[in-house]
Amino acid sequence: MNRLFLPAGSQDQVGDRLNNKAKLNETFRRVVRGRDFQAIETPVVEYAQTFTNPHVGMNLSKLLKWFDRDGEIEVLRSDWTTAIARALMNQNAAQLKWFYQGSVFRNDTSGIESRQAGIEIIRTDPLLGEMESLLTAVAYLKEIDVRNYIIELGHTGLFDYLIKSLELNQETEEQLRLALYDKKQDAIYQIINKREHNEIAQDLVELTKAFGGKEVLVRYGLRWQDRPELVAILNQLQQLVAVLEQIGVPEVIVDLGRVKELPYYSGTMFRGYLKPSGKTCFSGGRYDKLYAQFNEDITAIGLAFDIDVLTEVLKPEPVKPRICLVACPQTHLKAELMRKDFPNGQVDIRYQIPATGLYDQVIQIADEVKE
Amino acid sequence: MKPVIALTKGRLEKQFLSYFSSLQYDTEPLIKKGRKLRIETDQFAFIFAKGPDVTTYVQYGIADLGVVGGDILAEFEPDVYDLFPLPFGKCRMAVATEQGKIWPKHKKTIASKYTSITKDFFKNKGESVEIIKLEGSVELAPILGLADGIVDIVETGTTLKENGLVVSEEFLKFSARLIANRSALKIKRNELAAVIKRLQEGQI
Repeated sequence: MNRLFLPAGSQDQVGDRLNNKAKLNETFRRVVRGRDFQAIETPVVEYAQTFTNPHVGMNLSKLLKWFDRDGEIEVLRSDWTTAIARALMNQNAAQLKWFYQGSVFRNDTSGIESRQAGIEIIRTDPLLGEMESLLTAVAYLKEIDVRNYIIELGHTGLFDYLIKSLELNQETEEQLRLALYDKKQDAIYQIINKREHNEIAQDLVELTKAFGGKEVLVRYGLRWQDRPELVAILNQLQQLVAVLEQIGVPEVIVDLGRVKELPYYSGTMFRGYLKPSGKTCFSGGRYDKLYAQFNEDITAIGLAFDIDVLTEVLKPEPVKPRICLVACPQTHLKAELMRKDFPNGQVDIRYQIPATGLYDQVIQIADEVKE
Repeated sequence: MKPVIALTKGRLEKQFLSYFSSLQYDTEPLIKKGRKLRIETDQFAFIFAKGPDVTTYVQYGIADLGVVGGDILAEFEPDVYDLFPLPFGKCRMAVATEQGKIWPKHKKTIASKYTSITKDFFKNKGESVEIIKLEGSVELAPILGLADGIVDIVETGTTLKENGLVVSEEFLKFSARLIANRSALKIKRNELAAVIKRLQEGQI
């Protein structure tokens, strides 16, 4: 094999892209520390069961894995939230807000490695956690000068409520969830017996179309007015929409038909899309159930930014003038001291006069010394 | 920005165009496209590609909507919204073999373009088979002795018949479907809503 060839998705990173990434991470750290989040980092290598146990339900086939000496399956970190939930069981319960920065590895994503920066908020009043998650996202996007984006809100409770009376077994419920996930209307009718549960099937089919601006909340508020459990969820989303609009989020949408993608989600879900590309720049939500595996009945919520996606849209830093000081071994120290004369430049020292065009300014020091 | 619609070239394309024109959309530039792979009408930008590539263009957001056979979606499972069936492109997935063939007692060999569908089908039955991937003219495989049987789509059954094959089992039904990019469906909802609605209501 040619030694220069990389696996699919792997790439070396240089220059602006790398500077952008560093800037995104620095800014993230500054924003969240300013909001009293504390840093946490879990190891890159863990036992597979952290991620594959039934409470979490990640698919082992998608993880990067191997056997350790005792025959246990070890994996590369595939999800921050799950790993942090485990780690927080041994941390001071009084610290409620945490942040992380680093990569997750899964072989179903292009490139296997994806870089994230995110937050976890546990043991808070539910609404407080949701507000703080979303407002942190807004504050960060503002700080990195991303202005053209959409925040989408959803809630796992709508689907759960609508299918409750069907009393489905786990397999059928999963089929139905996937039908909603794909907004596959005809599949819903195939799964639910139309004669017996026509109304529920129709409700679910409607749900596949229930996305759009806040007017969707009003429309479904009327449709479901005799179902207080659903209205309560709509009101909760409405509350978040109002706050996001007031703080100046350019566009807020809801998708009432959105279903959870991991079994531990339970409640509000959110996602940020960049315009015009439509790429997802952050996603997250409530996952109180995740902590049930440790017999903890607490609230938990969080979100993660996709640093790779944000790197693509961040404007590069303004270009600084490149200055070359041409010195010799005798004048090298003098050149070093001259750096302070160019506080806004990028200063290089060379022993030979560089080719023209490489630098904005070339200053020869060697000559001055000879005189 | 005009909505971008990816169309599957070939048989589905013709059926789509006649359906689309029955919905009072202008299809003239599409019919006269010659060998061009991109055509703009007053309302839409169309791209023409093979079925699996239609799903790729939609998944990556190059196209907002796509028209593709359900067989392709079942085989490749792209990460897209799979909205609803369209009233054309109907076909069945079937196991077929030579007339009078006696299945071997050892592990069967099945040739197919649809290796993933084939694997799932036999896996669900709990039957181990060897699968050989072919790109087309799958009917040749049993005749020439490459495989014991084939898994392929059947529309009218004429091709099978003319090559001396018979269906031994049918297991999935498909039609053409409308798919959508996951974020475009929401972000460009105002531009897309009308055409999606018409494509769906046209069949009722």
